[in-house]
Amino acid sequence: MTRARSGDNPTTSPAASPTPSALARMFVVVALAGIGGGLPAHTRRALTSRGWMTDEAFAETYTLAQLTPGPNAVNLAAMVGARLAGRAGALACTIGVLTPGIVAMLAVSAVALGQAGGLPPAVQSGLRGAACAALAVLLTAALPVVRVGWGVRGGPVLTALTFLALGVLRLDLLPVLLALVGVGLLIHRPRPNSEKA
Amino acid sequence: MTDAPVNLAELLLAFARLGLISFGGTNVAELERALVLHHRWIDAQTLANGFALGQLMPGPNMLAVTHYGYAAAGLPGALTATLGFYGPTALLSAVVALVWQRHNKHPWVVAFRNALLPFGGGVILAGALVLGRTSVTSWPAALLAGVAFLLLWRTGANSAVVVLGAAVVGALLGL
Repeated sequence: MTRARSGDNPTTSPAASPTPSALARMFVVVALAGIGGGLPAHTRRALTSRGWMTDEAFAETYTLAQLTPGPNAVNLAAMVGARLAGRAGALACTIGVLTPGIVAMLAVSAVALGQAGGLPPAVQSGLRGAACAALAVLLTAALPVVRVGWGVRGGPVLTALTFLALGVLRLDLLPVLLALVGVGLLIHRPRPNSEKA
Repeated sequence: MTDAPVNLAELLLAFARLGLISFGGTNVAELERALVLHHRWIDAQTLANGFALGQLMPGPNMLAVTHYGYAAAGLPGALTATLGFYGPTALLSAVVALVWQRHNKHPWVVAFRNALLPFGGGVILAGALVLGRTSVTSWPAALLAGVAFLLLWRTGANSAVVVLGAAVVGALLGL
């Protein structure tokens, strides 16, 4: 596999270019290690220990994955794959990171949802307990995201308005997104010479 | 639940939309709006159950969508929902990664990032509120969520372990 090198890009200097199948295998292991979160950390360790990506290149890719819509861990895998082995790499990494979880979830779903007359009471109680902890997981994941959003100009107001519109008023996401991100773009527009129509 | 067969194409489109509009990974508020309130494919309890199960799975914790697809339309539904949710976003990410290296200093890109970050924070908080309304229905449940939060936040405990522990506590308390 020969890659077209972009030449003057200092952030990508992998010791070796991994094949898509090697990347897929790596991400299967990363997914298995990442039960209960921490996927990005496992991804970073796996990549840097193999010499496939520098710390700087990983940090940049990770920031980018935060900014694209969709599930971060999978976006990160797709981006790593695209960067290291092009389109085939992106596909291989995405499939690799998802496969263990999909297989496990299908098995659990078949058992949990296949019961005639619902789950036994003890299991349903256990799931309710798990759901409470899952809420706590979501809140701990929210803290850093909210903190970063809070830090930009106008952030606290926009965060609060988004929360009110989506959580309390249950408005449709798309208009809220367009309105509030639009306001954010106005606040942060690069130069104040944009003509108002 | 309705007994009418679920249209898989509709399912694919709905989950593709949900994937593309979830910033920061989890948009539980919109998941509930679309799947429970609008399409009526699953109920609020299934939403909460699937989210909890997702915390226990290897890989990304939003594999809850596989569970929701299964609840809506069995194995074909599960595969359709997973493909719809992850396919377009992964494709978009790969394209962005390849384009980024040329345009990452563009001022509008920086402005867009700054506009998007507070929105992402609001989205994830709204999701916590929606999920909390389903999961935290009693004082013991509220206490359990609080203890779990403190454990995760203060000790950095593995979240799968905490979720499993909470499941055991829930079963013992008969929540």
